[in-house]
Amino acid sequence: MIPRLLYLPASIGLALLVLPLAGLLLRVDWLALPALLLSPEALQPLGLSLATASVSTVFCLLLGVPLAVVIARSRPRGAGLLRALVTVPLVLPPLVGGIALLSLLGRGGVLGDTLELAGLRIPFTTAAVVIAQTFVALPFLVIAVEGALRTAGIRYERVAATLGAGRGTVFLRITLPLVGPGLLAGTVLSFARALGEFGATALFAGNQAGVTRTMPLAIYTAFNGSGVTTDQAVALSLLLIAVAVIILVLVGTRRASVLS
Amino acid sequence: MTLAPWKSAANALLEANLQLTRGSFSLDVRFVLAPGEVLALLGPNGSGKSTVLDLLAGLTVPDTGTVTIDGAVLTAPGRFVPPEKRAIGLLGQEPLLFPHLSARANVAFALRVGAPRLNAAEARAEADRWLDRVGLSGFGGSLPGALSGGQQQRVALARALAAGPRVLLLDEPMAALDAETAPFMRQLIREQLAETGTSAIIVTHDIVDAVVLAHRVAVLHDGSLIDEGTTAAVLAAPRNPFVAALAGVNLVVGTVQNGAIVAPDGRTFWVRPADARDLTPVPPAPAHLANMTGLSATQAVGSANSPAPAAAVFRPASVVVQTEQPRHASPRNVWSARVTGIEPGSGGVRLRTSGEPEIIAELTPAAVADLGLQLGSTVWLSVKATEVSAYRR
Repeated sequence: MIPRLLYLPASIGLALLVLPLAGLLLRVDWLALPALLLSPEALQPLGLSLATASVSTVFCLLLGVPLAVVIARSRPRGAGLLRALVTVPLVLPPLVGGIALLSLLGRGGVLGDTLELAGLRIPFTTAAVVIAQTFVALPFLVIAVEGALRTAGIRYERVAATLGAGRGTVFLRITLPLVGPGLLAGTVLSFARALGEFGATALFAGNQAGVTRTMPLAIYTAFNGSGVTTDQAVALSLLLIAVAVIILVLVGTRRASVLS
Repeated sequence: MTLAPWKSAANALLEANLQLTRGSFSLDVRFVLAPGEVLALLGPNGSGKSTVLDLLAGLTVPDTGTVTIDGAVLTAPGRFVPPEKRAIGLLGQEPLLFPHLSARANVAFALRVGAPRLNAAEARAEADRWLDRVGLSGFGGSLPGALSGGQQQRVALARALAAGPRVLLLDEPMAALDAETAPFMRQLIREQLAETGTSAIIVTHDIVDAVVLAHRVAVLHDGSLIDEGTTAAVLAAPRNPFVAALAGVNLVVGTVQNGAIVAPDGRTFWVRPADARDLTPVPPAPAHLANMTGLSATQAVGSANSPAPAAAVFRPASVVVQTEQPRHASPRNVWSARVTGIEPGSGGVRLRTSGEPEIIAELTPAAVADLGLQLGSTVWLSVKATEVSAYRR
């Protein structure tokens, strides 16, 4: 019972999402691809990206799940305020996020100078990459988990309490499993977001090969760089797409096996 | 069993004195629960029944008031023991089985967090014994989604009792079950409360729950307890419209003899054949269950031989009123009585008639005039056995 008129915009929308990727695949020089992908210029940023995005995702889980619980179980007014604060980085251009991080942790920044006195310099280090990625990815996890928590409600937790279960036990054995699907979705989203992070990383962490040059920055460098063909950028993009597809497939099958 | 008086008792297990105001609703109740006692809290929707249970369970904090169990203070000014430390269980309308855990794991959860805390292997074995007790052996591995609503509620009962609550709160546990499943669940709750000796408070607006499960009834209306006593006593003299509506049925609390129910004044009420079968004496409880209740096996057998308490329930409209002794072929309960009251009723005229308990008949005003009925008239009353349902108590 779909109005026929909807098919046209739906097709255009789908084409907009799929055709550029198809165009990319057509553009790939498949013969030169193995050499391009196995070059240190490709493998080093890939390794750095996977490592930093994984660490960022762990931070997102460690910080985001508790934050989601606090928001979901707060009174409506407080929850609304917290939710708005969490959503700001989501709607902010990542470049602005990078400037904001520099303003806080960079030279002349409120915390940056204090840390510098203590001998800690964060900007333009791998740590800055992780912080930038966590900054942009955390809202995805919080929003997904908080939604799942509110949907699950507190009825099961109340029952568990009347059975004699303490708050920690209820959280680990009832609350977390109940929001499992939301938690999984949030984790995948935040990992993907961290993997693709460019703007905040570029400003806050820079583009130093082996230290802060993640895949998106390597792609940008290859695309703009002198003496490097855009083939390198295309190959790296293909690699990033492949990683994303593999993650989605892995998660998809796990989810299916959990549900069946 | 000696039943505690309403508002205070030297040997009370639970004493509650609770006040709470939320918007235009205000609650103010005081009551006690004796060890092993089952109290039914009757009341219309919105009377505050579920709120009372939440206050007892520690899920809601009262404005003022106290709750004590065995003298230990759970709620008092400046003191509030959280739900998980109260040992007050709760079984609601919905089973609320943890959906990610099997039936066995649901029960084992209660055993692992309750007192005494069991290890994983002990808890699994004990959980299977509990599932066996509620007639679900073999269902241990099933996830809640694979069980029927009635089966889920049985698992929920097992889980609630496995936690070893000092008081079990039952919030309309039969309300979400269909008409075939509800009586079975009701009997199961009755048996399991008796076998475990668990004290309980059941919130309901179904008179059958009160008749079958409770030793004592308290009536809650607009946040206050307006009546209290044995089920029969409260219903015999309704003090508010809600109780009167509940008492819209005739309730004869008596004992079972030969598949019929004998009233305190000796009248015999024959009941529906299906219910009569259920009235036959229960086989004696297995020795291990008898031991759990503190009775020896011989005592348990002895009690099964003494007259079992039961109740007959029938509608006033089912009572046929005549001025001469009727002669019928079909199995009927027939007796004579005096008219003690003639009142307007919802479906015509309500005729109160003498006896212990008094029986109410409902008939049309024309019939009252035709029969020439007055206060003090002698009438013959009859009720078909098929119109009388019966419940073990």
